[in-house]
Amino acid sequence: MIIPRAAQGVQVSRTKSATGAISFAGLWHRSRQLLFDALGLAIAALMLFPIYWMVATAFKPGREILTLTPTWFPSPITLQNFQDAIARPFFLDDVRNSLTIVGVMLVLALAVGFLAAVGAARFGFRGRTTYLVMIIGVQMVPLNALIIPLYLTLDNVGLVDALPGVIAVYLAAVLPFMIWTLRGFVANIPLELEESAMIDGSSRFGAFWRITFPLVAPGLVATAIFSCIQAWNEYIIAYVLLSSPSNQTITVWLASFTTNHGPQWGPLMAGATITGLPVVVFFLLLQRYLVGGLTAGSVKG
Amino acid sequence: MATAIATPELEPAPTRIQQRSRLLPYALIAPGIAVIGGILAVPLAWLVWISFQHYGLKELINHQGEWVGLNNYRTILADPLFHQVLFRSLLFTFACVALTVALSTLIAMLLQRVRRLVRVTLMSALVFVWATPVIVSVDIWQWMFDYEFGVINYVLTQLHLGNFIHHNWFDNPLQGWSVVMVIVVWGAIPFVTITLFAGLLQVPADIVDAAHVDGAGPWQRFWHVTAPMLKPLFLIVICLSTIWDFGVFNQPYVLLNERPSADYFTIAIYSYRESFGVTQYGLGAAIAVLMVLILIVVTLFYVRETVRVAEIA
Amino acid sequence: MNLRKTWLGVIGVGVALLAAACGGNSSSGNNNNPANETGTLTIWLMNGSAPQSVVDGVNADFKAKYPNVTVNVELQQWGDIGTKLDTAFAGSAPPDVVELGNTLVAKYAAAGALEDISGKKSSFDNSSTWLQSLTDSCTVNGKLYCVPYYAGSRAIIYRTDLFAAAGITAPPTSMDQLLADGQKLMTANSSDPNFSALYFPGKYWYAALPFVWDFGGDIATQSGGKWQGTLNSSSSQQGLTTLANLVSKLSRADKTGDEAKQDAAFAQGHIAMIIANGWEVGVITDPKAGNPALATKLGAFPIPSHNAGQQAPVFLGGSDLGVAAKSAHRDLANAWIQTFTDQKNMSQMATVGGVIPNTTSLLGLGQGLNAVFYNAAKNSKFVPNSENWANVENANVIPDMLVKIFTGQQAIPDATAAASTKITSILNGGG
Repeated sequence: MIIPRAAQGVQVSRTKSATGAISFAGLWHRSRQLLFDALGLAIAALMLFPIYWMVATAFKPGREILTLTPTWFPSPITLQNFQDAIARPFFLDDVRNSLTIVGVMLVLALAVGFLAAVGAARFGFRGRTTYLVMIIGVQMVPLNALIIPLYLTLDNVGLVDALPGVIAVYLAAVLPFMIWTLRGFVANIPLELEESAMIDGSSRFGAFWRITFPLVAPGLVATAIFSCIQAWNEYIIAYVLLSSPSNQTITVWLASFTTNHGPQWGPLMAGATITGLPVVVFFLLLQRYLVGGLTAGSVKG
Repeated sequence: MATAIATPELEPAPTRIQQRSRLLPYALIAPGIAVIGGILAVPLAWLVWISFQHYGLKELINHQGEWVGLNNYRTILADPLFHQVLFRSLLFTFACVALTVALSTLIAMLLQRVRRLVRVTLMSALVFVWATPVIVSVDIWQWMFDYEFGVINYVLTQLHLGNFIHHNWFDNPLQGWSVVMVIVVWGAIPFVTITLFAGLLQVPADIVDAAHVDGAGPWQRFWHVTAPMLKPLFLIVICLSTIWDFGVFNQPYVLLNERPSADYFTIAIYSYRESFGVTQYGLGAAIAVLMVLILIVVTLFYVRETVRVAEIA
Repeated sequence: MNLRKTWLGVIGVGVALLAAACGGNSSSGNNNNPANETGTLTIWLMNGSAPQSVVDGVNADFKAKYPNVTVNVELQQWGDIGTKLDTAFAGSAPPDVVELGNTLVAKYAAAGALEDISGKKSSFDNSSTWLQSLTDSCTVNGKLYCVPYYAGSRAIIYRTDLFAAAGITAPPTSMDQLLADGQKLMTANSSDPNFSALYFPGKYWYAALPFVWDFGGDIATQSGGKWQGTLNSSSSQQGLTTLANLVSKLSRADKTGDEAKQDAAFAQGHIAMIIANGWEVGVITDPKAGNPALATKLGAFPIPSHNAGQQAPVFLGGSDLGVAAKSAHRDLANAWIQTFTDQKNMSQMATVGGVIPNTTSLLGLGQGLNAVFYNAAKNSKFVPNSENWANVENANVIPDMLVKIFTGQQAIPDATAAASTKITSILNGGG
């Protein structure tokens, strides 16, 4: 996601741009600032509208949902849709499955991806170009085209309708992106930092662990968030690979709100709100760390 | 792929230490290659293998196809529908990527200039969009663009932009594809914007200020100072967006009730339809293989540049 | 294949350790006493096809007979079900029993996915009185590949209060009268820009077929092993012309949309008639998402024929239950289907599930409005029974044709000719 440009020895934060004294220029600055702020809020509102519509719908009573004249605010507010959604069988099972799949996948992906990224960023070796091209190339294969062979392969080793099978597929799907992105982060940390630590008596590994690793942490967070969203939201692979309802993921559970006569909008929107929540919380918790860490981490004189 | 890298080198025997550090990078990348290769190599080989066979449902169930050489490829390449779909997919990808990158760059630059509170609000909005599962967000969009219950038709009519009561957005494919584009770009903006914003934060302020002092306008400052510094970022973002937008599946598929007419095929939908719709898995596989080949050609420049920049770094 | 085998071997060793934990199912005891049978049956039913209470009842009955057999009923989702079925049948352990939409059976049967149960037909209750259209859907090349499960047939659901307000005293009994009554309704409600006398979404091909059939037309006919699309025959065109006229005068529904939203739309109160399944009454009057106040204002009547006093043949939708050819417990699977489709449980499907049971002997169970739909099932037809029919459906041939006709993009002769050519080609195994 973030491939920071090497920018050694430079002051970064320029967000507090000049707000001058009271003068013509100051007035111009201030009204321009106002314009920017208004624009920023307008874009936020536009982007958010579909999400708002989902959440608002989740709180609307059934008959208020499909109306020819839309109601902008749920009134009266009802929790019925949430109750209906949660009461649907296997909710907790499927939440647990999704958490397991994403959690295990993330730990493995971060470990493997980080090693591979270090290998590609810190060393020149024969075949590196091939390796880098392969990392990008693998991402071009449409996952939908691999449904059958993935199923047959996992069937051969008895991993159909089992979480490890899905974890393996997701792992292979997110790793290329993760390796590529982390490689950018590692490459961005000046080697001199490690070398100076080694001069101070650290082993190469020690220097790497104490100096480079903390600086790459934001990168790990960023890629973790991205992979987490990818895996948490995937549908078709999970649906095809997992058959028993108690083994399925939360997105497959969500699909059960769509029957042969269209979606049940209220419970579906409530379910989607509940499903999206963990990802948003995860992201918001780490967001400051992500951007903040980036600015602090990538530049040290 | 993996074997090419692991081939022993025919060079004078290195010393122990040299050998260790020469093997170290391979040791580091080995687990990654093992995982990706171990899981994807067989399915990929199967896909290519099947693309040379007549492979229907019966063959699938019995795991026994009939070798037909390049026939599937000939059929596809001679099919006018394939050319249509390919042309449309390329155009659509180009438009989406251009729009995504342009809008995201503008929003990222705006993020730098707004108050903290506004920035947090906008960032959170982006995060919310990003975190919403595609299958859910497409449902919401479909409903917002609905013929009779759609909030968009209602709002456009209320704003006196025309009579949109009972307006069908998918009647006219050009209009329908514009809707698809809005949804795809909407979904792509958060990732690209946040990436570019993080990159922008690292563009040294003094260089930009110096350009300002030298009398460069905002456009020149961006074009001659900021953009070149963000080049690696732009490269990878364009590269990934192209890959993703060329492979767009869910948006048109769900918007058109999982039964899109040929007017709304992307290459990915076309391949999926041939495979699971009409159980011609060989043809479907051939389309998928062609899709990857075309993607390689389309992104060749970007991949080369991206890798070149990465090699320097 | 060798390349694949080698690779599989390599991968297999690596992952086998992980897989070791997952044991296989035990096999059936080779004995005729059901109490000695053991094993695990996996059953795929579609989301919403049978009420949970009915399924529980079936499993209890089955358990009483086969105390040592475990039954896992797994509900599948509608979205991408074809993909899931294709992959599952390709795998080594597909579900033992699978519910298939009746238009899908031929495809899977012809490919060898389903067990030929011709010899066991008489072991199922009511097999001599199964609904003809459902039996047809299970029969491929003269062999039986599945057991009819339930059916759905369409009739017209209407608002009695709106009819009364427009001065219509009795439901129409001919297509002409349907049009005339519809126009009365349109006039009576002319102040409502959202009003539809007969709400007909453009892609609703199940509801379009009765018009084709009523004039003697059909989708395709078979002679000498070859299929010939016949939507462009003069009788088919006559039916479609009648329908197009109704749609243009009576419907404000989306001409390119499908019928998924029609119940929700009906519940909003701007519609006088829809062509619908019996169970859709329940969706319309659902206390949460629908409008329960309409419950007392609903009526139903069969789609009238163009011959006054008769009714048009309708499409018989529904599902069948098949046994996977690769199943390790085919006898147990058949035994489970026997239990599910026995007299008692089929009656439950009708009374609790509200669907049309698989046999004519139970059609008397239709009460109230349901009786209309049950009756419609007696005069029903089916799509061409070809293994390639699913491909016609998946290529959207008929919906696309209807959209072109209703939106006026193509004249009826051109649109039907194009569709017929395509149907002929696909049914005969072409692309």
